[in-house]
Amino acid sequence: MTSSKNFSVTVRVWRQAGPQEPGKMVSYRVKDVSPDMSFLEMLDILNDELIRKGGSPIAFESDCREGICGCCGLVVNGDVHGPDEHSTVCQLHMRRFRDGDVITVEPWRVKAFPVLKDLVVDRSPLDRIIAAGGFISVNTGAAPDANAIPVDKARAEEAMDAAACIGCGACVASCPNGAAMLFTGAKISQLALLPQGAPERAERALNMVAAMDKQGFGNCTNEYECEAVCPKEVKVANIARMNREFLLANLFSKK
Amino acid sequence: MKLDAQIPAGPIEKKWDSHKFNLKLVNPNNRRKYDILVIGSGLAGASAAASLGELGYNVKVFTMHDSPRRAHSIAAQGGINAAKNYPNDGDSVWRLFHDTVKGGDYRAREANVYRLAQISNQIIDHCAAIGVPFAREYGGLLSNRSFGGAQLSRTFYARGQTGQQLLLGAYSAMMRQVAAGSVTVYPRREMVDIVVKNGRARGITARNLVTGDLEAYSGHAVLLCTGGYANVFYLSTNAATCNVSAAWAAYKRGAGFANPCFTQIHPTCIPRSGEHQSKLTLMSESLRNDGRVWVPKARGDKRPPAEIPDEERDYFLERRYPAFGNLVPRDIASRAAKLEVDAGKGVGPNGQSVYLDFRDSIKRKGADKIKAEYGNLFDMYYQITDENGYKAPMRIYPAPHYTMGGLWVDYNLMTTVPGLFALGEANFSDHGANRLGASALMQGLADGFFIAPSTVAGYLGAHKFDPASTLDKEFADSARHIQERINRLLAVKGQKTPSELHRQLGNVMWNDVGMARNSDTLKKALKKIPEIREEFWKNVAVAGVDKDMNQTLEKALKVADFLEFAELFVRDALERKESCGGHFREESCTPEGEARRDDANYSHAAVWEYQGDGKEALLNKEPLSFENIKMAERSYK
Amino acid sequence: MAASGLLLGGFMLVHLAENLLLFKGEAAYNGWVDLLLSNPATPLLEIGLLFVFVAHIITGVWVRVEDFLNAPRGYEARKWQGGRTVGSATMLYTAAAILAYLVYHMLTFRFVDHSMGFYQMVTSAFRSPVFTAIYIAGSAALALHLSHGMQSAFQTLGLNHPKYTPLIKAGGLLVALAMTGFALISLYYLAGLDLKAAEAGAQMVVIN
Repeated sequence: MTSSKNFSVTVRVWRQAGPQEPGKMVSYRVKDVSPDMSFLEMLDILNDELIRKGGSPIAFESDCREGICGCCGLVVNGDVHGPDEHSTVCQLHMRRFRDGDVITVEPWRVKAFPVLKDLVVDRSPLDRIIAAGGFISVNTGAAPDANAIPVDKARAEEAMDAAACIGCGACVASCPNGAAMLFTGAKISQLALLPQGAPERAERALNMVAAMDKQGFGNCTNEYECEAVCPKEVKVANIARMNREFLLANLFSKK
Repeated sequence: MKLDAQIPAGPIEKKWDSHKFNLKLVNPNNRRKYDILVIGSGLAGASAAASLGELGYNVKVFTMHDSPRRAHSIAAQGGINAAKNYPNDGDSVWRLFHDTVKGGDYRAREANVYRLAQISNQIIDHCAAIGVPFAREYGGLLSNRSFGGAQLSRTFYARGQTGQQLLLGAYSAMMRQVAAGSVTVYPRREMVDIVVKNGRARGITARNLVTGDLEAYSGHAVLLCTGGYANVFYLSTNAATCNVSAAWAAYKRGAGFANPCFTQIHPTCIPRSGEHQSKLTLMSESLRNDGRVWVPKARGDKRPPAEIPDEERDYFLERRYPAFGNLVPRDIASRAAKLEVDAGKGVGPNGQSVYLDFRDSIKRKGADKIKAEYGNLFDMYYQITDENGYKAPMRIYPAPHYTMGGLWVDYNLMTTVPGLFALGEANFSDHGANRLGASALMQGLADGFFIAPSTVAGYLGAHKFDPASTLDKEFADSARHIQERINRLLAVKGQKTPSELHRQLGNVMWNDVGMARNSDTLKKALKKIPEIREEFWKNVAVAGVDKDMNQTLEKALKVADFLEFAELFVRDALERKESCGGHFREESCTPEGEARRDDANYSHAAVWEYQGDGKEALLNKEPLSFENIKMAERSYK
Repeated sequence: MAASGLLLGGFMLVHLAENLLLFKGEAAYNGWVDLLLSNPATPLLEIGLLFVFVAHIITGVWVRVEDFLNAPRGYEARKWQGGRTVGSATMLYTAAAILAYLVYHMLTFRFVDHSMGFYQMVTSAFRSPVFTAIYIAGSAALALHLSHGMQSAFQTLGLNHPKYTPLIKAGGLLVALAMTGFALISLYYLAGLDLKAAEAGAQMVVIN
């Protein structure tokens, strides 16, 4: 454990009372920050202070605080999910900062994800994309023995790489165009790579892409910012695979 | 309180089949008339909603998160057990059944556990079919690994993210039903009360977490899939919003609460670093395959670990349990670490941890091999502690992880309130006093995918259909009751935040009701908890208003429930004067300091019945009989 | 946009090859131009090219308008994480520059009197510093555009493969780099290197 002394920082936070309200950046001084604290624990301390003073604490989302639930998502000093590579903001620790630092904290500023309050945004469009086809239509009880369908190990691993997506929305927040293609591509890829997903491949690609387009996301111009910030290192090869699935489906499907 | 477990007659292998045959069915055309409310969207909730939706019921799912995919099932790392016997190492339904009952220290209901083992294989089939990317061998077939408490490989896994992959599988099956119109998801809703009419569960009151409005939902059955309550300790490996509130609301509406004191403390967690700590992070227990656990032999030895020669180190697990060594079950490893720390041999800045050392395995296998196997865990450890586990031993300490106790349910997973079911970690049924690794995911999915769809139909079919309505007086009563509680909270305007008071409660729970308990510490806790509760209602600070997104209010409501529940927890621990599984009473141990069960007096589930606010809960007992497994002492020496 | 982009990129390579014919001398260059002009398919190819070009612009504008409407907006601080390149970030600007240059190109080479012969027309244009400056700017914009565009088109068409994508990316950069060839050719003539070479050639004849 580092034994460096506690320090103070200033956080500039986006405050917005509700979806229709105007928002603004507000500065707060946070004292007695330990380098071993997580970034969100620093915000907890600030919030406790605000509550004690009868003020309004900063609304932000987080739950598991170990980088898997996908709840958290902040832009810290312009970095989506903070300065650490391939991690969520709940995994960021204060030892990354120095005494006197001014830290800018903002929500995902994505048109399709309206701010509900302060740093909390509505990411339900991602669920609607999944509902459009991010599944394999097998009813409970109908499955054959799990080993009846062998799956090439390399493909299974690749499917797992894509399936690691936590649905945090960082890809959209970081995209210059606000596209959700990494998210959508990851799910289409996972299911396209597995033989179990084959019967619905064409329809899935068409439906999920259509649903994605309907939610008000931008288009992919292959800037690859999403891959650079993705906490789970989901690759843009998944977007290419989605494009391929979509093109082939358009060319050969009867719909 | 009448505790009829509804265990079907007949040999244990036939019970579930014959029971399914005897259960009533609901005609496919009538199913859509039934509203089923599923509270929680973790493994149990999402899978139940998916299956019930497929059958044609009108299902409403409530989650407090922004998306149903966030539930804490997602954080499970290790795997899911099944009796497939793919590795040909002698596994069977019977053996999984046996290991689970033994692992639970003979405090689970035999018939339920046998059914769980039977269904385990179907779970793997179904999950593979819906696209869960399980680990595979080069031949393309599924891969297995071994886990604590079993002598064979029966654990299916998806890297270190099995919970995530299974949850996303169940979630996608549920979202398919959303598209089909049979399931509606209500995100950012927290269930705050169960509505009971004429003795049957007929709906819920939920708080809309965006607007703050109290909303009424009626249904013909309510399924609580709301997880466990390890956050009663404040610091646990659970997510921040995990709570007891839904189960507690059910308890107050007449559902029996069983074995609340049965808690699993997981040995390989990253120790806390200071007062600011908001949660503890678990590292997979697979680390104990290659890491050796030790403390310095001398008390208060402050030398850096590398300067402590081997003869001055105490590899206490290897010393005490030569047969299983560092791989003893979770409860035993945790307790052993606590003993060393209590003896003043703990390491780290505050002496509250023990070493997990990879020096020898790095020497033997090479750093590359260790990195390939555990690299992500070393990274995680570094990220949190800023310490390099390859160069110096990691520091670990046990942390609350899972709660075996929960709402009492019968064989149908129905609580003592007709129409109110409890699934997954929220119920008490399958793990007895200690859960084996990789069994929680199995249970959540068994309950949701396979058991509830049959038993809920059995319940619905056995009653005459009557339309559900939120206009009933009971809904208004419930909303008023909740609103009063919220108003009371907001009116306190005190000085302490809900988190501070929660931490105060957690300290009492951890110190007095944690890994080891005795009647003195428990009585002490019973005195302290009401004091904190009193302070809470006098001095809690809740900012803002109720008709708004108000995370402090959400937290305060949860802490208020924990403060009531904690007392029941402690009373249960005090009442059970034996040691079993995760429940260790210092008065009840063998001369070597191991847990000693008292089967003559405590071979039962302790089921607590609510008697009204301020009144002591009433203890009921469901005797446990073991007809298929011989009770024996758990020994890992 | 991707398919049309790839076609246009391919066309540019052919165009560059044509320009390299300048080095083979007046006869070779004019001969090729005559061959092209006498081919009855050439007007059709020209219309096809125009069609592809317009399609590229329309789809591009379409995508960019949608992106503009949906782009994240209002970040106080924003850092790019290394996915973006100079090429990718400036696609819109290089596109505009290329379009502007193309208009100029058409006005100077396409819709003019060709009686002096194509070789003379081109080389004499190259001897003008103003023309060459514009020409260099145009090819630089093109190079930058293609540095992102080529590999991006493959990605959009779904052609991403761990083995071939690095090659595609390198190939894309190479094509982009090749576009500076246009600039080098014009510089060659601006510096009068052709005349010096001709002089040297003449001297050699004398010696012989």
